[in-house]
Amino acid sequence: MAVATSARRSGSRPRSGGSAWHYLAAVAYLAFVLLPIGYMVLVSLQDSVTAGTVLVPRSIHWQTFAEMWATVDLGLYLRNSLLIATATGVCGSILALGAAYVVARFRFRFRNTFRTSLLATQAVPGVLLLLPLFVIYVVVQHALSVRIVGSYYGVVLTYMTFALPFSIWLLSVYVASLPKEIEEQALVDGAHRYDVLRYVTFPLAVPGLVVTFIFSFLLAWNDVLFASVLTSPVTRTIGVGLQNYVADNTLPLWNQLMAASIVSAIPAVVLFMIVQRWIVAGLAAGSTKG
Amino acid sequence: MITGGPERSAVAVPQPGQGAVGRSARARPLPRGSPLRAPYWMMAPSVGLLAFIVFLPILIAFYISLTGLNQYTIGDWLHAPFVGLRHYVDTLQPGGPFASSLFNSVKASLAFSLLTTALIMPIALGAALLFNQSLRGRAFFRAMMLVPYIIPTFVNAILWRLVFMNGTGVADQLLSAVHVGSRETFWLIGPNSLWAMVMADVWAAWPFVYLMSLAALQTIPGELYDAATIDGANGARRFLHVTLPLIRPTLGLAVVLSTINHFNNFTLPYVMFGISPPEQVNVLPLNIFVNSFVTFNFGLGAAMSVVALAIMLTPAVIYLRAARVGDES
Repeated sequence: MAVATSARRSGSRPRSGGSAWHYLAAVAYLAFVLLPIGYMVLVSLQDSVTAGTVLVPRSIHWQTFAEMWATVDLGLYLRNSLLIATATGVCGSILALGAAYVVARFRFRFRNTFRTSLLATQAVPGVLLLLPLFVIYVVVQHALSVRIVGSYYGVVLTYMTFALPFSIWLLSVYVASLPKEIEEQALVDGAHRYDVLRYVTFPLAVPGLVVTFIFSFLLAWNDVLFASVLTSPVTRTIGVGLQNYVADNTLPLWNQLMAASIVSAIPAVVLFMIVQRWIVAGLAAGSTKG
Repeated sequence: MITGGPERSAVAVPQPGQGAVGRSARARPLPRGSPLRAPYWMMAPSVGLLAFIVFLPILIAFYISLTGLNQYTIGDWLHAPFVGLRHYVDTLQPGGPFASSLFNSVKASLAFSLLTTALIMPIALGAALLFNQSLRGRAFFRAMMLVPYIIPTFVNAILWRLVFMNGTGVADQLLSAVHVGSRETFWLIGPNSLWAMVMADVWAAWPFVYLMSLAALQTIPGELYDAATIDGANGARRFLHVTLPLIRPTLGLAVVLSTINHFNNFTLPYVMFGISPPEQVNVLPLNIFVNSFVTFNFGLGAAMSVVALAIMLTPAVIYLRAARVGDES
């Protein structure tokens, strides 16, 4: 990616001196970031009696990572979250690309209104939308006798829509930066607009789509508010499900809770780590390219 | 929205549509099937979903805020008793039955979002400047900095809840070990709870501003620094007169966006403190959730969320202005 290389070049301008101080600062930042995570790992390895009350485990209690699956239905929650977040990312990114393409390549009457309203949605509190959305879904359920509340596609549809404004915006910036000559050539050669999008624009937009996929995935993975109302015990996501370790009137099993928290953070962390270079480059591209 | 994405940084504001095919809205409509005609069907699904799942609910929220909708009338919500502006009077008029609750929540939300943003800015900018320089293992450091940001908010909230447990939590143990505080300091109830939540959110959210700052720094051409160095500018002057002016628009956008994100954060206070939080952390989203889904006073909850939206309009307008600088008219 040309953008990435140019951004890296300007970013890595050599500086002389102060190197030891730089390392000291870098290590301080690393400690700031990693100490809380290290604490999580330590607690997850403690036995349930002392968990959370001491720093170093009396003995390494690996069993926590086995026991936690039985305490609550962690496997089900993780599977639900994976399914919902992946569907959100894939469907949301593809829909967003269609809208972004039109916004990037054409002028139309409400274009600026549309773009402004995309930005404006960022300020809307989620808790404002929750009840009306629930009401709408219930009305539609009654009218069409389909199940939305508690189903997978109810939450997917909701998260997908919440991810659209950012995805459309980012992809429209991205598509605008792609050369339009190839598309025009294909159109002149008689290709249908859909084929152009499918075989020309889509492959070129993949780096942008990766960023919007991750963004939508994380949005779905992280949500608790909407999942708490829109999922049923069968479709419960991990964010809501984790609360079950502390629910009821029993003592919280901190070691299992921490172990489950670590496991539930892994998919997001791994995904983000794989593409983090692209994200920094994509943000840099968004700020220079038009 | 429930999360604010890492919006693009606006050093030079991108203009999607530059080099567009350039159909003016006033131009004669093109025949159907013309390759130059905008394929509106491509944006129809997005527009439809946004209309039904974002914009329609906003309108319905306005309507609900004018009704006495509760758990008894929810089955037939269109016929819930119309109470006009009663909920707004109850919450906004001094001495109204819910005025102190709302006022307290607005105060808590503002304190939380402004404190968090104020603490995050220097941490994030420092890291961005540090990791923009050549440093052995820079890619590793850069990647690790993002970890707190990717950890789901509900995990973050659970973690800090454990850290701040009274007496047994690592915060109290550390404070007593270095004789700064008592082991019996309460963090999850009482006035300290605000600081516990600020700490948790600073740790989790600073990489967002760091990412935006880093992206902005990378767009500054190295030649500018070379020129400044030749002119005799030292490190501090280069930062003040080259770096800062160039990344200021991005930093401004980061401040606004992160304030909005903190203000609308529901998951953190909900998972950290539950549905009966101490008043210092009874932020607006949590208060609205409790009014709507715990006490089922939907009308009141809707009115309070409209107030929250109105408060968010100020930073939102600033943000829209900033984002549209250089926008084609």
